[in-house]
Amino acid sequence: MIAAIVDDEVPPVSGFVESAFNPLVYQAVRQCLTGRPGLTGRPADGARTALVLASTMGDTDTLDLGSRRLVAGQVHNPLLFMQSTANAILGRLSLDFAITGPLLALSVLGNLAGELLTTAELLRADGELDRIVLVGVELAGSERTATAHRELGTNPPAVSAAVAIALDRDDPIPSCPCGNPSVPPIQSATYGSLCGLVEVAARIRGAKP
Amino acid sequence: MSREVLLTGFGVQTAFGSGADALREGVFDGRPAFAPIARFDTGPYRTDVAATAGGAVPLREALAKTATEAIGMAGLPPRADAAVLVGTAGDFTSLTRFWRAMAATDGSGISGGTAETVPAWQAEALADELGVHGPRLAFTSACVASAMAIAHACRLIASGRVGIAVCAGAYLVEEENLAKFGSGFALSKDGMVRPFCADRSGLLLGDGAAAIVLESAQSARSRGARALGALTGWGAASDAYHVAKPHPEGTGLASAARQALRRAGDPRIDYVNAHGTATKANDPAETRGLRALFGERADCVPVSSTKSTTGHLLEAAGVVELVITLLALQDGVLPPTAGFTEPDPACDLDYVPNRPRRAEIRRAMSVNAAFGGANTALILERA
Repeated sequence: MIAAIVDDEVPPVSGFVESAFNPLVYQAVRQCLTGRPGLTGRPADGARTALVLASTMGDTDTLDLGSRRLVAGQVHNPLLFMQSTANAILGRLSLDFAITGPLLALSVLGNLAGELLTTAELLRADGELDRIVLVGVELAGSERTATAHRELGTNPPAVSAAVAIALDRDDPIPSCPCGNPSVPPIQSATYGSLCGLVEVAARIRGAKP
Repeated sequence: MSREVLLTGFGVQTAFGSGADALREGVFDGRPAFAPIARFDTGPYRTDVAATAGGAVPLREALAKTATEAIGMAGLPPRADAAVLVGTAGDFTSLTRFWRAMAATDGSGISGGTAETVPAWQAEALADELGVHGPRLAFTSACVASAMAIAHACRLIASGRVGIAVCAGAYLVEEENLAKFGSGFALSKDGMVRPFCADRSGLLLGDGAAAIVLESAQSARSRGARALGALTGWGAASDAYHVAKPHPEGTGLASAARQALRRAGDPRIDYVNAHGTATKANDPAETRGLRALFGERADCVPVSSTKSTTGHLLEAAGVVELVITLLALQDGVLPPTAGFTEPDPACDLDYVPNRPRRAEIRRAMSVNAAFGGANTALILERA
């Protein structure tokens, strides 16, 4: 298995212009897929690869920009139409890396790492897939997400980040940091809901988060 | 993974109203529900037409209402152990309200409700409302969101991780998506949705919410619950083609459907509830995908798009259309593709034009597709 943590400036992804969400996802997944192209040296079979994205808040920058423009009576940018769902960047990744397996996008309030790892286990048990690429992503946020976090009693992350983990068929599913997948880890001030996933990724990379 | 997945309850709400009879009178009669939108000012947008049911209600209310009906029909006991999986992008009306308040009052006038914009909150709130205990997840994959939720529930049940899952999805027409779909020139120009027709000009949005209760045969047996149908196959696959357009050959859709068929043991499919958005790109791609799937049998498999009556229900499309498919199986009636004029030469299947058709069907497939080339297929078998 291989993991990537991306929380700094990343190159833009053409067509995704208004938010760090999509470039962060792209970069984290790219690092995993190019760092470990396939099982035992063979190219990965795109039909037997799944991409699973999880985020509590989603691409709030794009969503909020669209909403602010609407409220201000400005013309809607058709690009925001395409970018406003996580499917778009997953679709771009699937095109660039010839992945034709399932693309899932989740929103998780509790244990984001636990839900992603459980989903990986379920998808692998299906027998149709050899590789599951998990990616968690959260943006530092806007006034809206700050308000939502206050209402939810959760911590917004201090940084925008994406964490990707690629698991192949024979890889053990990493344990959830808190042991019990139904118990959410305490959210850190730096990574918010991604803190559990950062810990798992750091463990895989043999480094402290 | 061999545990059978049974459907034991449902609740549904569309522009036609609540419940199965409202669908029978609208969708199965081929009566489009499109009318001018009255719940907000449509002046700034490219269309003022959608399939709406009265005034705006919070998304959480539509989810709670349909899910309560579903668990009532299934006879689930209070505080049951059940996963709650919801296809939703969050409450867009709350999103607009937040930014309107910010623009008007620099935020000081905002008093709660902002968490409702968070998709995961909708799943948590629904589970709390139902009083059930288990995994809670929101699926945000746009037009395949609730179909993905159903496929996930099937995996959870088939693997033995959970015995019962409540799968729901909701979308209620609001300004944000009306603006976005308008800016993408995806909306119909003539106030009708005409899937697979030569003169189709796009989709129209519609209100939709539905919930189904899925459970293992063992769980249903132990409770004495009656199965309404069985989910025997599910599949998901991507096109790897374009961020916004489907693969012109419908390869991802065909691949998702093949997965579902393999899982179901390659049964004969008697009806397909199509994605059928009436956009220029979707319908021929979907047609080619279904042709590739069924081969020589393709001309004999009736295919209809019920979006021609309900409108596009976005995150709710998968679950509402599965309920429609269930009714088709139960009643032995195929819902038509309404507003059908002249077929597009590139769309050459049997689309059940304009009128419902009696048909003894045993197994049906519901397919959906979304941005980014995500596709799903679900196979439902009559009880």
